[in-house]
Amino acid sequence: MHTESDDELVKRIAGGERLAMKVLFSRHQTRVYRFALRLLRDETMAEDVTGDVFMDLWRQASRFEGRASVTTWLLTIARNKSYSALRKRRDAGLDDDYAESIEDEADDPEVVLQKQDKGLAIRACLAKLSREHAEVIDLVYYHESSVEEVARIVGIPENTVKTRLFHARKNLGELLKTAGIDRGWP
Amino acid sequence: MTDAIANDPKRAELELLLPFYANGRISAADKARIEAALATDPELRQRLEIIRDDMAETTLLNESLGAPSPRALDRLMAGIEAEPRKLGLFATAKGGLMTRLGKLLAAQPPRRLAYAGAAACALIAIQGAALTGVAMRGGGFETASVPAASSERYVLLSFAADARAGDIASFFRRFDASVVDGPRSNGYFKVRVGDASLTPAQVDAIAARMKAEATIVSFVAPAP
Repeated sequence: MHTESDDELVKRIAGGERLAMKVLFSRHQTRVYRFALRLLRDETMAEDVTGDVFMDLWRQASRFEGRASVTTWLLTIARNKSYSALRKRRDAGLDDDYAESIEDEADDPEVVLQKQDKGLAIRACLAKLSREHAEVIDLVYYHESSVEEVARIVGIPENTVKTRLFHARKNLGELLKTAGIDRGWP
Repeated sequence: MTDAIANDPKRAELELLLPFYANGRISAADKARIEAALATDPELRQRLEIIRDDMAETTLLNESLGAPSPRALDRLMAGIEAEPRKLGLFATAKGGLMTRLGKLLAAQPPRRLAYAGAAACALIAIQGAALTGVAMRGGGFETASVPAASSERYVLLSFAADARAGDIASFFRRFDASVVDGPRSNGYFKVRVGDASLTPAQVDAIAARMKAEATIVSFVAPAP
């Protein structure tokens, strides 16, 4: 069975084909939603951003030049829209302090550790990372992006991608150490 | 504690690439360099193990986030329907229909324009009602991607590097399990272990039993 590539679907979308849009949405909606949700920490906002990302794709499909993958393109739009939504929330008085208070509702790593589950403790610490660190961790560990793709999505030089990821990993290790899990580094 | 790797520029450079080695997104040349270093550098190997642990947990964390609601596609398609058609009849080129229409309207006396405007509004209202009727008769948009409530139970696992094919096949038979997704480039598989009648505690127990087979699997955790 022939499965159409993302690039082929985008060409059809540029020609106004709604069915191609539905296929591409089905293929990528979860990825885009999860990426936005990790940045926004709000399901409703993440779903709105996901819809907006695909609406942008519908409007701009003819401008897609294939220099980056469709996934990279979608995640770049998702990131821009997520940060824009965060700025609007901050302007509306729901600033980052509010977001941080939501984040703090997650299981405390030390509490999790008492449950004797290292995996849960790592996940609790992952949820405690700053957005800047969480996004590079997610892009590399979950979305399986390359250095070049992360650089394009986040809008930073490739060397900065590597060093930022290094500091994110180090920070994660320090959070775990504080929670009582010493993995030998940092 | 001093970080011996950080203090050695050559090892530090390779260390920065380890996450991309682990996710499979690295050039062949860098991959070969890292594999050569890993063969003789236990500290670097330990760092890679930490990365693999974190990668597995990041995957589980993201997989637990769910998906957009089934209404998301409906809303998107409704938004698309409300958009102006791409490259329609009313092209904006000089001398196009809209330009000529504009000139014609500008030449009309105000009262005649008012009547024409009212007639146009009525026409738009009739068309709108007709289009709405069509949309309603169609029962809305189909949502091919609707993630139905999961009727299966899954674990995420990776196989031990030296697991044999025969042992893996036997492992799947013993657990009555099957691969539903993977391998991802980081080596993880999503594996079905039963249907929705399994409680989370039962899935945990299955994962624990699987984990005990360390010669076959290197990582197992319940997955959404």
